[in-house]
Parts: sequence; C-alpha cells; structure tokens
Amino acid sequence: MQKTGTAEEQKMSHYSNDQLAGFIKADCVHKKVYTDPEIFDLEMERIWGRAWIYVGHDSQVKQPGDYFATSIGRQPVVMTRHKDGKVYVLFNRCSHKGAQVVGDSCGNMQQLRCSYHGYVFDTDGTLLHIPREEGYRGAGFGKGNPESNMQQVARVESYHGLVFASLAQDGPDLKTWLSGAAVSIDNLVERSPEGRIEIAGGCFRYLHDSNWKMFVENLNDAMHPMVVHQSSSGTAKRVFDERLKENDPVPFELEMLAPFTNNYEFFEKMGLTAWNYGHSVTGGKFSIHSAYSPIPGYMDALIDKYGEQKAREILAVNRHNTVVYPSFTLKGAITSIRVVKPVAVDKTVIESWVFRQVGAPDELFQRSITYCNLINSHANLVGPDDYEAYHRLQHGLQIRDGNEWVSQHRYLGKDEVDEDGTKHSAGTSDMVFRHQFKTWKDYMVSTL
Amino acid sequence: MKTGFVPEQDSTLMRTSPPDLRMLEQFLFHEARLIDEQRWEEWNDMYLEDAEYWVPATPGQPDPKNHVSLIYETGLLRAVRIKRYKHPNAFSLQPKPRSVHLVSNVILNSFDETTGECLVTSRFIMLQYRREKQELFAGTYTHRLIFKGNEFKIAAKRVDLLNCDAPLENILIYL
Repeated sequence: MQKTGTAEEQKMSHYSNDQLAGFIKADCVHKKVYTDPEIFDLEMERIWGRAWIYVGHDSQVKQPGDYFATSIGRQPVVMTRHKDGKVYVLFNRCSHKGAQVVGDSCGNMQQLRCSYHGYVFDTDGTLLHIPREEGYRGAGFGKGNPESNMQQVARVESYHGLVFASLAQDGPDLKTWLSGAAVSIDNLVERSPEGRIEIAGGCFRYLHDSNWKMFVENLNDAMHPMVVHQSSSGTAKRVFDERLKENDPVPFELEMLAPFTNNYEFFEKMGLTAWNYGHSVTGGKFSIHSAYSPIPGYMDALIDKYGEQKAREILAVNRHNTVVYPSFTLKGAITSIRVVKPVAVDKTVIESWVFRQVGAPDELFQRSITYCNLINSHANLVGPDDYEAYHRLQHGLQIRDGNEWVSQHRYLGKDEVDEDGTKHSAGTSDMVFRHQFKTWKDYMVSTL
Repeated sequence: MKTGFVPEQDSTLMRTSPPDLRMLEQFLFHEARLIDEQRWEEWNDMYLEDAEYWVPATPGQPDPKNHVSLIYETGLLRAVRIKRYKHPNAFSLQPKPRSVHLVSNVILNSFDETTGECLVTSRFIMLQYRREKQELFAGTYTHRLIFKGNEFKIAAKRVDLLNCDAPLENILIYL
C-alpha cells in the first residue's frame, strides 16, 4: 500500500485511514462523507488528485494556440493545442509569482503571457521570454530551467478525443481505468456516421448547494424519477394528451419527458452494471431514451458508413446514464455529457455539454439540444426538482437524531459478480452506491 | 383588466402609426405584474400560442435550435410549466417562490407600417425569493409585439440575462 498524500496533508487530516475506511460499511455510509469539509479536502487530494479526470474534448482546441481553461477538482488548468499538434494540460499558474496566466475561458493565443510581469510561455508551458532577463543571470530561474515553465499536469491521455488528466504520476493507463465505461464512449462516437464527434452548442453551468457525490449517485438512481419528476413528466403527459390531436406528430419534448414517470418495473428491468474504478451504467438493452422516434436520414447515414447489421448494433446500445467516476456522466442517445466540478463540501457546479455527431442529420443534434434545455438547464422543470432533492439531503444530513448512517440496503447481497469484478443488478438496486463508495474507500485509503 | 393590456384609443385591426411609448410601457408593466402575481393563465393569454419565450444561455446567442438555452418554450411547454406551478408534488416550488420584476428603459426599436409589428427593448431587474434566499437577476427584454384584434399580443420574447453564462442556481419563475 502506498503512502497517502504529503506529510503536510497527513498532519492536516484528523482522520486515519482506518477511520476513513470505517465510514464505509457494506450496507451504509457515514453521513460525514457528504458533510465534513475535511473529508472534502481529502477527496480533492486522494480521489480528484489521482483518478483520471475529464478535462475537455479535443474539438475545443482544434488549432495550434487554441486554449480552454477549466479545472481538475479545485485546481485551475488550461488545455492547449501546441504547434506540435498535441494537446497539453497545464496548471494555470505563472512560474514567477503564481498569478493565473489565462484569464478567460477559451480562445486562441500563440503564446501565453502573464498579465502581471509579462513573462511569456509557449502553449506547452515552456518559458519563452522574461522582460529584462539579465536580472536572472546566475539566479537559478529562467529559460531552460524546467521549474520555470508553466507546469504540465502529471499525466494526460485521450480516448476518442475526450481528454483526461491525472494529477498523480502513477496509476493505471486510461483505457484500463475506463474498463466497461469505454464502451459508452465508443458508442457515443460510433453514433456519428463519420465516427467523429465535436463539442457544439454551448454549455450550462448549474450551481448546486450540495455535495458532488449526490449528483453522481443520482444519475444511476432509478428509484427517484417517478417521484422527483412526477410534477414535470406527469404534467407534460396530461397537457400533451389534452392538446395534441390524433394525427399530430409526437413532439420530441413529450418523448423526452414522458418516460421519467414510467413505472418501477420499467426502471427495475432497465438493469444496472458496474465496473472497476467506480464506473457504472443504467440500462443497456433499453432505457428511457430508447423509444424516441427515428430521425429521418440518420439510419441511412449510419448504414452507408457501417453496413446495416453494424448500424443496428450501434443503435441497439441503449445505455441510459454512464457514470465515469468521479468526474462526468454520459448519454449516448442524447450525445451529451455532464461534468462534475466540486467547489466545496456543499457546493458543486454541473456543466452540461453537447456533442455534434459529425455527418448525422442536424435534427439529431437539435434533439440533444432540446433534451438539455428540458432536463439539464437550471431554469427548466426537471433539474430544479433534482436540485431540491440534493438540497434536502445536504440539510437533512445535518440533523443529529442519533442516526449517523445513510442506507444503501436495497437488493443487498443480490449482486451478480463476473470474474473480472463487473457487477450486475436490478436497475433499482443500491448496488451502484455501494460500488461507488467501495471505490471511494479504495481511493481514500490509497489502494487505488 | 382580465386579459392583456387593452390600448384605449385604437380598435382597428392594423396599426399604421407607431404606438404611444407610454402604451407600450404599460403593456410591459402589466406583463411584469401578472408574473409577480402569478396569474399565469392571464399572462399566457398575452402571448400568441406559437410565440417563442426564449432565455439564451450565451450572450448574443444567434439561435435557439443549435445552442442550448436556459428556456426555449412555445405554447405547449408554457402550458406544461403553468400547469406544473399548481402541481402538489412540484418539490422545487415548495415553499412557493415569489418575485418582483422592475421594467425600465423602454425603447421602441422598430415599427413595421405594413404589419403593425413593434420591436420593443427594455431593461429589467428581477428579484426571486424562496426559502430564505433572495436572488437578483437583470438583463434585457426584447419583445416582438403585434396588434391583433384590439390589443397587443406577444409574438416573441427574448430575455438576455446579464449573467446567463455564469454558474447559476434555479430560476423558478418566468423572467
């Protein structure tokens, strides 16, 4: 077992590894994992400082000099396209006094120039120029000294253009780490008739007053939609019933909202699969997205590229939400991702991004846009009810009624486990939460 | 006043001269009041059925089809939202949010003599209050108004929030 964190961090933490491990039991977790700021700080070091974290998509930095400023956990970073054609991820910090070098979210600059003293860096972080450089002669700082560069994060890899970074020098390679979740990314890309996706259509940034894990859990929580979204999905069904005439085409909006109030049996049968490193998916053979009307011309475009059988196989992958633990969730049919940005123990920003499937009819992309407007915006009828659930969790967990534990008992002991560790269960099982927290524990006590 | 603001002086089907600015202001103030008083059916009656109510997610956003929007609704989705306001299990509306809208800087940007269509821009401030939290939103309204029957109807409303691309919490009431 490798040693955890720096000496300073160990001193800061009041929790021993045994204590941290003790917060996770087979059937429940201690409420402190959601509410204790010190545990949040440790998560930033031990989970967000180690796991492969989604940074962005390489279509956001197409040309040399393009940059996209974002974060890994709480660490501001900037993703760049360098003149060697490669994508780099740099800590957004000047090596001189420490100012953030890039001040806005995206754009193109051939060089990165610090706004304070004008030190200039190449887009791979290399220090290029210092005003009145002779002042550093013999001083141990300056060009040619790697420590004087903007620092690259420890590891960067990409998968189908999705750029991931890890702040840890050591760990599994990206493909190994993605394990079964890679299939969801494969499918997202294969759904493009050209096998290519690109980020398009802007982004939502939805601020939540709750812990990041509540969102991550909720995306594979199949027991909540019929309760939380009853008021939007149920109302949509009634209004559309009243207003639509018999031969009217069914609008996208109804196809999207209606399945949220499918019955328990539907969500149960949708199934749940979990893989190593905390990833999981709801659905597979079918999901709340699988009954959408076909988009004219789309199937033909896929058949042209892949042949009929393969095209059908691609569209038969009906995964609902894939959780790539801990930093994002993905929908293939909706061609979108939601990226988790933890800010504080009770503060999280969820970013929603949409991919355009290159070569597919515009209508497919526009359907994804409509879905995100309806479900992921902070001004719609669905997101705020999820927000409300997380809010009430965050506040309910402050109550000292003698119960320190959060239940994860549903379908306990009923998981089917493959030889490689993959787990299967009913769609409504708490298996996914137990699985996420087993991974959480492994990260927190340093066995991952 | 039950539905929409009824202009006092004119009952012809088509306007051929630009409307009085004060009349336009009163129309916008009336809309703001109906929202603040949550008189949703009356508010919706100010709109044409296929009117777009649009809150872009990016400053200067050119179109609602190929870019995400905080809200993009026509009649059907407005009807869903309005009905949901009364749903007993709309948990994010419990307790009920309240609002105050202030509308100002009203400018008649253009008037089309052939169609009687007006393009009106204004600035707004909206305070949203719910469960011990008050939030401030501000921005620009662009109303496309047409004169129909003997009253104005909203053919389209665009709401450009000053901080539409910032990380924001819930917007629970129409802006």
